[in-house]
Amino acid sequence: MNIELLHRPANAVAKITMSSGEKIISEAGAMIAMSEDMSVVTSKYAKGGSGGFLKGIKRLFAGENFFMNRFSPGPNGGELYLGTSSMGDLMTRKIDGEFIVQGGSFVACEDTIDVDASWQGFKSLFSGESTFWVKLSGTGQVIVNSFGAIYEVDVNDTYTVDTGHIVAFEETLDFSVRKAGGSWISAIFGGEGLVCEFNGKGKVYCQSHNQNNFGYSLAPMLKEV
Amino acid sequence: MKTEIKFKPGFAVVHVKLQPGETITAESDAMASMSSHLQIKTKFNGGFFRGLIKKFFGSESLFINDFTCPINGKEAELVLTQPTPGDIWELELNNSSFFLQPGAYIAHSGNVTLGVKWAGIGSWINKEGLFKLEVKGTGKVFFGAYGCIIKRKVTGDFIVDSGHLVGYSKGITMSMGLAGGIFSSFFGGEGIVSRLKGDGEIYLQTRNLSALATLTNKYL
Repeated sequence: MNIELLHRPANAVAKITMSSGEKIISEAGAMIAMSEDMSVVTSKYAKGGSGGFLKGIKRLFAGENFFMNRFSPGPNGGELYLGTSSMGDLMTRKIDGEFIVQGGSFVACEDTIDVDASWQGFKSLFSGESTFWVKLSGTGQVIVNSFGAIYEVDVNDTYTVDTGHIVAFEETLDFSVRKAGGSWISAIFGGEGLVCEFNGKGKVYCQSHNQNNFGYSLAPMLKEV
Repeated sequence: MKTEIKFKPGFAVVHVKLQPGETITAESDAMASMSSHLQIKTKFNGGFFRGLIKKFFGSESLFINDFTCPINGKEAELVLTQPTPGDIWELELNNSSFFLQPGAYIAHSGNVTLGVKWAGIGSWINKEGLFKLEVKGTGKVFFGAYGCIIKRKVTGDFIVDSGHLVGYSKGITMSMGLAGGIFSSFFGGEGIVSRLKGDGEIYLQTRNLSALATLTNKYL
């Protein structure tokens, strides 16, 4: 399988060339175009099977669609284009182990990876991210999207990311939610509010912009429906 | 302190490296990520009353944050961003002053003060805000826009469509005007414009958030 990202960063799209037998699981609605003989199976996904209803429900809460699509090409292989709804970048990387993706940032992964919306504890409720995170485990390639550009931070000790700017992180990192700055006054009035602090050694992927902030800037000018 | 603007022009952010003892001041909620040992101190955006004026009439925040790398700490990193995707530029002030439109300010370093100046009813009707932000002193100022930023020298008169002006130097005055005659102003879609007069530099943004809202509103 070959994943090529085109038109980065503003209008990124993933062009995936697949051989027969290879499969991609994607978020519902991500497909832009595909080979004529590509088979699409929509399911409440779980690894290697039709999936459990509970996992589907959990994914619904994770900001992901309840259903996922599994694409498998015909005997001669095929091509698949995946995109996202927000303007921004895509990133692809090979994982071997566990990788945590922020609810709305998951686009697709190879069928060899298990997709699960994992509960990260009550702290996630306050982190400005969706309540659930998508937990990917296994070996294979994954595709995630961002609002704005994606930048990688090599955490070696501790690093702080504002809520709403986390795209994904390696499972080797531990994260906790804390107030920005030393005092609650800073946290509340300084506008930074709560932030996520990562500890340990590993990579965290951040997005340059925050969809919520853009939404709040635009919303006052939109008419009431 | 080292600053670099990355991901220009579509998704620009300011990437800052701070040495122990150095401080950069940023707009409320501008921080995207940072080294955990940076100290954040929240303060009024130029005093309580001036801060209030800025908040309610200038669309600026009541509070701004100082990010300081502790004296005994190691080098720190900070990424600053803006709510809208678009370009960010930096401005070097050398005992000088510059005007920024509401919402354009992101951060500054050095000996720079933020003040408010009356911009006039014309400016307000033109959706450019009743007050304008004046950045003054010596240091660096970072400002952003929705879309790309164009810098242009102005000598004499120049016309900018409402919602597209980002900043202008002190020698320039702004007044409201019509794009052409009554007919073309209202049926030609250009409507009310800003008339700039004087000698100096102006910065324009190539897109306009309220135009995006107007476009979107058609489908809501």
